[in-house]
Amino acid sequence: MRRLVGLQELVGPAVLVVATALVGTLVSISTQGYFTDALVKVAIVVALYVFVGNSGVLSFGHISFVAVGAWTAGVLTVPGDVKPAIMPNLAHVLRDRTTGNLTSLALAAVVGGICALVVALPLMRLSGLAAGIATFGVLEITHNLLRYEERIGPGLNAFSSVPETTGLRQAALGALVVVGVAFAYGRSRFGRLLRATREDPAAARAVGVSIYRQRLIAFGISGLLAGLAGGLYVHLLPVNTESVYLDLTFITLAMLVVGGATSLWGAVVGALAVSALDSYLAVAENGSSFFGAHIDLPAGTRVVIVGALMAVVLILRPNGLTGGRELRLWKR
Amino acid sequence: MTMLAIWNIDWQVLADATALGAVYALMAVGIGLVFGVLRLVNFAYGQLVMAGAFALALASQWGWPQWAGIVLCFAVVLVLSMLMDRLVFRPLRGHSPAVMLVATFAVAFLLQSIALLWFGPLGKIATSLAYLNRPVTISHVDIRKITIVAVLVAVLCLVALALLLERTTVGLHMRASSMDFQTARMLGVRANRVIGMAVLVSGALAAVVAIMLTVQTPLVTPDFALRDTIIVLAGVVLGGMNRPIPATLGGFAIGFASGLLGGALPTNQSQYLPTFLFAAVILVLLVRPGGVFARGNAVERV
Amino acid sequence: MNGLVVRHLDVRYGGVHAVRDLSFEVAPGEIVGLIGANGAGKSSTLHAIMGVAPATGEVLLGGRSLRGRRPEDVARDGIALVPEGRRIFAELTVEENLRLGLAARRGRGGAGAALRGVYELFPVVEEFRRRQAGALSGGQQQQLAIARALVAEPDILLLDEPSLGLAPTVVDVVFAALAAIRDRGIGVLLVEQRAQRTVAASNRCHVLANGELRVTLGPENADDTETMVAAYFS
Repeated sequence: MRRLVGLQELVGPAVLVVATALVGTLVSISTQGYFTDALVKVAIVVALYVFVGNSGVLSFGHISFVAVGAWTAGVLTVPGDVKPAIMPNLAHVLRDRTTGNLTSLALAAVVGGICALVVALPLMRLSGLAAGIATFGVLEITHNLLRYEERIGPGLNAFSSVPETTGLRQAALGALVVVGVAFAYGRSRFGRLLRATREDPAAARAVGVSIYRQRLIAFGISGLLAGLAGGLYVHLLPVNTESVYLDLTFITLAMLVVGGATSLWGAVVGALAVSALDSYLAVAENGSSFFGAHIDLPAGTRVVIVGALMAVVLILRPNGLTGGRELRLWKR
Repeated sequence: MTMLAIWNIDWQVLADATALGAVYALMAVGIGLVFGVLRLVNFAYGQLVMAGAFALALASQWGWPQWAGIVLCFAVVLVLSMLMDRLVFRPLRGHSPAVMLVATFAVAFLLQSIALLWFGPLGKIATSLAYLNRPVTISHVDIRKITIVAVLVAVLCLVALALLLERTTVGLHMRASSMDFQTARMLGVRANRVIGMAVLVSGALAAVVAIMLTVQTPLVTPDFALRDTIIVLAGVVLGGMNRPIPATLGGFAIGFASGLLGGALPTNQSQYLPTFLFAAVILVLLVRPGGVFARGNAVERV
Repeated sequence: MNGLVVRHLDVRYGGVHAVRDLSFEVAPGEIVGLIGANGAGKSSTLHAIMGVAPATGEVLLGGRSLRGRRPEDVARDGIALVPEGRRIFAELTVEENLRLGLAARRGRGGAGAALRGVYELFPVVEEFRRRQAGALSGGQQQQLAIARALVAEPDILLLDEPSLGLAPTVVDVVFAALAAIRDRGIGVLLVEQRAQRTVAASNRCHVLANGELRVTLGPENADDTETMVAAYFS
């Protein structure tokens, strides 16, 4: 019975993901894209939560790992005959190899995780503002390198011809995997130790918890999940260096904080709530009919409204929509 | 040895780097002032500069005389600063640094999207003070007038600010508030007055920066000064966020370094400027997380 | 000069009930002591009066309620606090610290006379006035903290453990100054850990335990250690 009670914190997030996918099957093909995108966003935001939520340290660099994952999966799955045309300067080892869908996702995760570990080794000593700036630097460096280095990817161009395997099912399964790993980590000894360092760093240190090591582990796992999300992303739509840069960094961080940064439930709620709003407004911008209401917004207002609403939520409810707590269906 | 040869550092590059450093120093002070009293990093500071630049662009589009454009710039920036303070900073006072960071990040993005909606992605041109772009010749070297003006203006502003902080009562109150706000209040220092003053001065500096940046970059787009804000923030953190002088020096240093690298790197490498710059920033942060001028192990306050 | 009246003061920090139903008065020209063990609620009482702790109940200065007012307004109404740990602005000069205290002055002008007054009381502060406050010794900083509070010419002076960490001779100087301050007509509320000295120096001394007022002692009880111990641990 104890085990089941422990699992309840997984139920809420998992149910939301599945529900989103199910509702997605009911709508038109054109609208389905929004649902799939929302599920990929869930994956990214939950990956972010694994580190930011548990450690209390802000990272502006996680989208780098999404980018790296996207690049890995993309480069490896562009069909061999098309590759030389799209990415003429690709390094030999990448040009001659092509893998299947699942392998590309797995490799995306692995590469994301390795990059995250490499970054974390020096950076996890930092906290607060220094960590923020340093991780921002990682984002900038990754963006800069991916943009101009044509030996590892398409550089300035967008990824085209990547097989679009991320439909509702792949996105939902991917999101569930990410949620599951995040849950498992959160419940594990490592997750608990890291949260202890967030609550009271001095006390944690006093009992011998290595803040550095716990953050390292979380950052690595978080990078792995972000890489996987990147793989999902590149199989959904043509990714370019700008789409995995500042905009995505902002929106995923905001989704996390708006939902409630310190809980898995908050991460999922934030991602889905903001995606829902954004999609609704996007459809309204096209002047279509959505759930019976006919709206026609000028282009560009959508970002303004979403940004304004997020700012308002943060000001009125700084702990996020969920208050940073997990969803407990029944008490112990 | 060949590497040094292709680095073309000449007086022009040095002068430009100094000017950029001067402008960044002002931005650093603007950000540092608000941080000092509110313990809040205003990510949206660059948007204040953007707003001022757009004001200048509109004024030149409407054919207004130069002085009117400058007045409009100051007015817009100051009003926007005060709105930001009332609507965002004050309600968030005392919340966790993470929330404040993301909230100002949200405001920055909101303002940028509004600008995008209003002016479109192509932006507008601010031509008012373009004549400052013309060079003046000093002992066989061509230096653009704006370079000299930028350094002079920056020095003037910094001196004025130093006088304000050191010689006036409100300046004393501001300094004390940035050290220990609660005790200052219990001694009778008016919190709202001090914060308002900091926001005002910070806004005025943003307006000055907007004027100087539009001379060098007349095309004003919604992401005007976004990159600069990030780099300045890195510089301020490098210098030491908590103290005003190191923060200013940090801003100047990173501006100077950025300008130097930008001018000195060979062209096929210059596109990697952000990588070099931020790699250097990270390296310094690892060695001195509290800032270059921090004393010993500075306890992380944020 | 106005007197301070506290009635049914209750201070709660989340789940912790720091002060329960506390009532007492401080009239001009007297020293009222507040002693008790650590955590008894002494500092919380002072913070509640200054408006930096969440409180219910009445706090009146000269009949006007102070509850719900901002700390800077409480200071400007005539209550000055010498905080626990002094809270000197170490990077400012001694003189700048004093000028800060002037912020709460009521009425314009007279700042010069106020400064001269505190220099008279604490000559060491005048001697070091151009030095950085952080360079002063603990005892000198304590004198600076009191001087800084006095410069505002308050009606009521609150002190939070001024003798903490000070050598006995310096404590003598501080207590002598407090007597002089009382003689000038200011009401003093003295929170302390040194029970005996405080009881001896005060007109009245309230003993707090667990946030409640247990017993009130007069200077005649200064040697009655039994009553004091009993009150502390009741």
